[in-house]
Amino acid sequence: MAGKTIVVTSGKGGVGKTTTVANLGTTLAKKKYSVVMIDTDIGLRNLDVVMGLENRIVYNLVDVIEGKCRKEQAMIRDRKLSNLFIIPAAQTREKNSINPEQMKELCSSLAAEFDYVMIDCPAGIEQGFKNAIAGADNALVVTTPEVSAIRDADRVIGLLEAAMLKDISLIINRLNAKMVKKGDMMSTEDIISLLSVPLLGVVPESDEVVVSTNRGVPLVHEKGSKAGAAFRRIAARLNGENLPPEESESNGFFGRMKRLIWN
Amino acid sequence: MSLAETPPVKVKADRNGLTLVPDPAATFEAITAFMDERLAQSRDFFYETQMVLDLRIRPMRTDEISALCEKLYKKSKVKVVEVRLSDDLSFSVEGDPRKPPVPKRDGREPGNSAPVIVRNTCRSGVRIVSPSDCLVLGDVNPGAEIIAQGDVVVFGTLRGLAHAGAGGERAARIWALSIRPNQIRIADLVAVPPRGEKPAPNRYEVAEIQNEVIQVITI
Repeated sequence: MAGKTIVVTSGKGGVGKTTTVANLGTTLAKKKYSVVMIDTDIGLRNLDVVMGLENRIVYNLVDVIEGKCRKEQAMIRDRKLSNLFIIPAAQTREKNSINPEQMKELCSSLAAEFDYVMIDCPAGIEQGFKNAIAGADNALVVTTPEVSAIRDADRVIGLLEAAMLKDISLIINRLNAKMVKKGDMMSTEDIISLLSVPLLGVVPESDEVVVSTNRGVPLVHEKGSKAGAAFRRIAARLNGENLPPEESESNGFFGRMKRLIWN
Repeated sequence: MSLAETPPVKVKADRNGLTLVPDPAATFEAITAFMDERLAQSRDFFYETQMVLDLRIRPMRTDEISALCEKLYKKSKVKVVEVRLSDDLSFSVEGDPRKPPVPKRDGREPGNSAPVIVRNTCRSGVRIVSPSDCLVLGDVNPGAEIIAQGDVVVFGTLRGLAHAGAGGERAARIWALSIRPNQIRIADLVAVPPRGEKPAPNRYEVAEIQNEVIQVITI
């Protein structure tokens, strides 16, 4: 059976797409699934840095699509997990070096060999975005609880629906529960009522993310990280497992989350 | 049928399939008789095909359209998968088919154009322009624009931009279950919501021009 192709997109930059792809991909690989992650942010590649595999890049996505190498030659195996691969983007090329049809072809051929194909989408809604969503059947929209990010997420969801990508889920990243309680930050409920897509999970704000990026080791490798635990739960839900919603300090929050996630 | 006459129906073939284009001068009876003949003559060619009915230059009444589609199906299992209509639908519903379509005039004419109905939430980036009224069955999210010559009715929360009476009609109104927009416009006037929280409406809200200013009435 063909694997799932999932694009992680957001519209707004810097909300956590690459971090999400790295951590979800790693978690799924730890569960023994074969995973390949594709960085489609040509010219501004980041996934290789976050995964700590920068020095190992010989071929990249554009080389594969132009036929300069086979896709196996471009796939870099993760240092810790033998069933996790990444196809890095090209840093010295531009986003119009590839087109949606070519991405679609590549993603189908990868889906035939892997359980999960995770596509890291660049910010924006232009050529890079169009390339990234072309090969995907499912979409994860990442947003932070902040007005501009939500505006952009709404736009992106509209574009995904227009492109007939019906399976869209939401991840709310960098939620600061204290600020929500104080009323300084939008709550999960506010966000869902505007965006109207099912919520896959919430990742709390965490300083550890920056540290893990700098080190090149995805957060989910560490025990005892709240953000890491959130990513692990999201990966489980992605995999079809029915997990109960996250706990939190306030009861009201728990009650609302329960209703939202069980939908 | 001699070559001097134009056939009552042109059968066009392109890479998408077959399109029937009835001639404006033809009567409905001539059209059906012609189709009968063609289907009988080239039975295998037409059998179980899908066709598009292009009624833009020669509109038909709805009962005529149904009759024609039924006949095509009965005779050769031809399925009419698309019916292309012109912008003016007024005499498809009630007019004399031999009368030419009413030419479009500038400005709004009361009560002759059906509203544009949008049956889902308008997300950011969506822009709807209606020559008459516009009805949205859902929310209008910030970043979406609804522009109508007539009224704008939102059966949900209006958070984006709504412009009623876009052609200058100051009597136009904006209705919504909840009006909390970025900006609303009626005719040539523009208004922004006041600062601060306001009480949630019990039933609905209406924006209209009163004394040269846009007012929002909460009910």
